Formats: sequence, structure tokens, C-alpha cells
Amino acid sequence: MPPKINPSLVDKVLVRFIRDELGKSGYKKGILGLSGGLDSAVCAALAARALGPQNVLGLIMPYGPGFPEDVRDAERLARRLGIRHKTIDISPQVDPYFAAHPTASRVLRGNKMARERMSILYDYSAREKALILGTSNKTELLIGYGTIHGDMACAVNPMGDLYKTQVRELAAHLGVPAGIRKKAPTAGLWPGQTDEGEIGLTYEELDELLYGLVEQRKCRKEMIEAGHRPAAVNRVVRMIRNSEFKRKLPPIAKLSPRTVGHDFLYPYDWGK
Amino acid sequence: MKVALAQISPRLGDIKTNVEMHLDVLEKARRAKADLVVFPELGLTGYTLKDLVEEVALDPESHPLFRKIRARSRGISTVVGFVEERPSEKGLFYNSAAFITDGRILHVHRKVFLPTNGMFEEAKFFAQGRDFRSFATPFGRAGLLICRDFLHYGASYVHYSSGADMIICISAAPGRGIEGGDAFETSRMWELMGEAMSYFSTVFVLYANRVGIEDGVTFAGGSFVFAPGGRLVGRAAYLDPELLLRRVDLSAVRDARKKWLFKRDEKPDVVLRSLERAARAAED
Repeated sequence: MPPKINPSLVDKVLVRFIRDELGKSGYKKGILGLSGGLDSAVCAALAARALGPQNVLGLIMPYGPGFPEDVRDAERLARRLGIRHKTIDISPQVDPYFAAHPTASRVLRGNKMARERMSILYDYSAREKALILGTSNKTELLIGYGTIHGDMACAVNPMGDLYKTQVRELAAHLGVPAGIRKKAPTAGLWPGQTDEGEIGLTYEELDELLYGLVEQRKCRKEMIEAGHRPAAVNRVVRMIRNSEFKRKLPPIAKLSPRTVGHDFLYPYDWGK
Repeated sequence: MKVALAQISPRLGDIKTNVEMHLDVLEKARRAKADLVVFPELGLTGYTLKDLVEEVALDPESHPLFRKIRARSRGISTVVGFVEERPSEKGLFYNSAAFITDGRILHVHRKVFLPTNGMFEEAKFFAQGRDFRSFATPFGRAGLLICRDFLHYGASYVHYSSGADMIICISAAPGRGIEGGDAFETSRMWELMGEAMSYFSTVFVLYANRVGIEDGVTFAGGSFVFAPGGRLVGRAAYLDPELLLRRVDLSAVRDARKKWLFKRDEKPDVVLRSLERAARAAED
């Protein structure tokens, strides 16, 4: 397993990160999508501490009435943290599209929903002069379990170097309600969907494999020799490899001696 | 003798496929009666490896895929670019070139000048080579260089001074600059150096560059052979794969040195003393 974190240290670092990154860009306010799940709850709690609850807006964006518990959990969390929140049903943006372009694929529908949420977040980001806080954790980023230009889109991401099991530790430290901490993680793509069911591994197994492959730089063979199931190891290696495009900006065809992304290299915090 | 410059486009991170590609080209070159086949820098692995370096590193003495290439070099010589990791130096990865003849490794050169600026990040991932050494081959003495090594002309001077008849540079040079003629502007830089080194060192210069695209970067191709005296023997296409086959006559080294007395009148001892003083001064 990934080592236990010191949650109060992580809390301190991430609170400063959010405050510092937004402040450098000239922003006081942060905005994020609240799903009623663990990651967005942790991110909201950190943002409330970093920016003050009045400067955090949580957008709750369910697809229709099919996820009432998640909406209720999200609203309760917002009230508990004292942050502003707003609920927007995305079905009027999604249904006309799929009426015109029908599909039986739940993945296609889920991706479309994630991107509608993204477009609302960016719209509200401009309306509210608030920067978007990303909620993708390290486990999701490494296996590519997220929609590119959907839930992966953000201005800053405080969560991206914490494995899912570490986010759980941080959640307990931050006082995220047990109801949210205990429920099965889901991308909310369809009722009854769970991450672990879809990925085929529990987060504990997944994080252990990722920790070995990534942090400890073990190769596939060493992981199998250490007793992991070959099928699981191969699957995780494949997921990591096949999702690199989600973790990068698209390649720019190099022509000139100085090309954006190749050798026009400045810090993100340039001039801030 | 007949030389072949294998201007290929290796597949990034896939040694198995690249070894097959090398074997195919070797066979093709053998049928064309080539004596020496030169492959580009990191031809067995692709260039933009980053953290893949450790996964594709191999020991040229023992790795089964490398042995396949050695086995296929019966009666022919080849220069192959790969990531080297020796059992005696675990965890040190070198950007290396091996000269192989008849199944034997005659010499391995480790890249000395690792570009690490702008778009280049080699020293982040590779250990640095520390030597330039020419060696005897079935075709006279040769000196190996890898890409940026060649742009530091002291490297060629060492090979020249130690009696090389032939400087072989393997390369994965990206093209940059589109304001020139029918090639990337950087292609001219390599040709200029090839022409100058062959002229003033009175040696053959074999430059094998790769083609293909990795992460948006286009490798420029344009591999070339210069004969002593700055005479262009042949140049491969820019951008596209090619097996450039050219006959070269090594007696041209002697002919050029009768005409131009650079080699006879060269004073490496004076250069060395002066260099030592300059190096000491730079340290002070």
C-alpha cells in the first residue's frame, strides 16, 4: 500500500497551495463541481480552509433526478462547510443531443455529461471570477480514469498527487462526514455504477499496484514475483500506458527553432 | 568498400520491433553487397525515451535481442545505437553506439556531450560517457561519435589525431527552422560540419541520421557521406526513410594527405600542452 500520510502536513501544504496559486493569478475565489463523493468533498474542505467558505462555490450538477442521495450529500456538505452552492440539472443540455445522436454506449453518455459539467464550470468561473479547482486524484490520473476535457479539466489541482486511499485518510482528518467517506466511489455515469466494479480492482489493490510500479519503479516482472496477479499487473500497466495522452498537452508539430511546449519553456507561475 | 546508411524510423520504446527492423535492413544491405551498415542514434529504442530509458537498457554482451544482431553480422559490419547498462554499472544508463564485425563487438562509444537545454533533456536520463577512442576495423581505423558529440569539433580532432580514417556519427537530430530551402535549417549545420571535418581532417565522415516523428518532433534525415577533401559522396532524402548505399575508396585518405599536408604537419603535442594550460586556466 502507499505509505500512510501525515494528514495535518498534507492539509497545511495543500491549503497553502490553493491560496498561493489563486492569489498569484489575482483570484480570491475558487469554484468546483460537487458530486457528493469523496474527492470533491475533500477538495471543497481544503478550499474552504484556504480561501474562506464565502469564497468557495460548489456546483452540484446532477443528470436528472436519478441520483437524489448524491445531491443530498453534496448539499449537506456545502452547508456543513459553509460554502456557497448551486444545483444545476444538466439533463436539458444532454438529452436534446442524444435525441439527435442516439447511442447505447453508457461511456459515451457519461463522457458527454462530464464535458457539459466542465462547460458549466468554465462559464461560472468567468461569471464569478473564480478559478476551477480540480478533483482528480493520483490513482485516477495514472490509470486515466477520467474524461479528458471533462472532469479532468481545471485551473489548479490540489489532489493529483494523492492516491485514492490517501485521499480517504485526508478526508477523515478534515472531518468529511462518514456517509461520504464510506460510500462506494462512483463516476456517477449511470445508477449503480461503481469505480471498482468498472475498473475490476478495489482501490486498495489498485493503489498497491500503482505504488509499486510508479513510486518504487518496479517492473512488471518484479510485481508478479512479489505475488501480484499477473492479469491485474498487466491490466494496470496497460491502463497507465494507454492514458498518457490524458496527462499531456497535445503534441505540437515542431517547425521553428522555438516551439510552444518544446523549447519555449516558462514556469506556470511566470510573472505571478 | 560499400557503406550503407540506414535512415530508419524506429518505434519508440519497442526494442523487439526495432531489432527486427535492424535485421531486415541488415539483410537488405547484405544483398546489396554492403560491407558496413550504420544505424542512427538510439535506433534500437527510439529517442524521446524519458523514463522509459531504464526499461529499454541492455547489456550488449548478453542481451538475447542484441545477440540476434551480432549473429546476423557474419561477414558484415554494423554500427548500432542503443541504451547501455552493464552488470558492473547497474543503474547507469548510457546513450551508446557499438561497432560490430562478424558477431564481435569491436568498440562501444558512450555519448559524451548530452544536450540538456531547450527541447533536449538527455543528461536528466543518461550517464555521461568520458572517452573518445578510435579503433581498428576491417576497413582501417574508425572513430565513433553520437549526434551532439560531432558538433563539438574537439571530438573529431581526437579521432583524427589518433589515426582514424573514418569518423562515424550516428544521430537523432530533430529538424528546426523552416526559413531555409528544401530542408530544415539545422540540416545545413550538420552538413557544414561534415564537409569541414572531412576536408581538414582528410578522413571519411559517415553521418547516419534518423527520420520519423516523436511527440511532435520531426527527425530531419539527410544522412550523408563525405570523402576526404570535403567531397560529398552521397546524401539521403530529408524526412523520408532510405537506405543510402555508396561505394567509398579508402585510398582517398592517402591521396588527400599527399595533396593537403594537414595530417603530416599536425602537432597534437603542442595542441595538448596549450589545451592543458587553457583547461587549468578555466579551472582557476
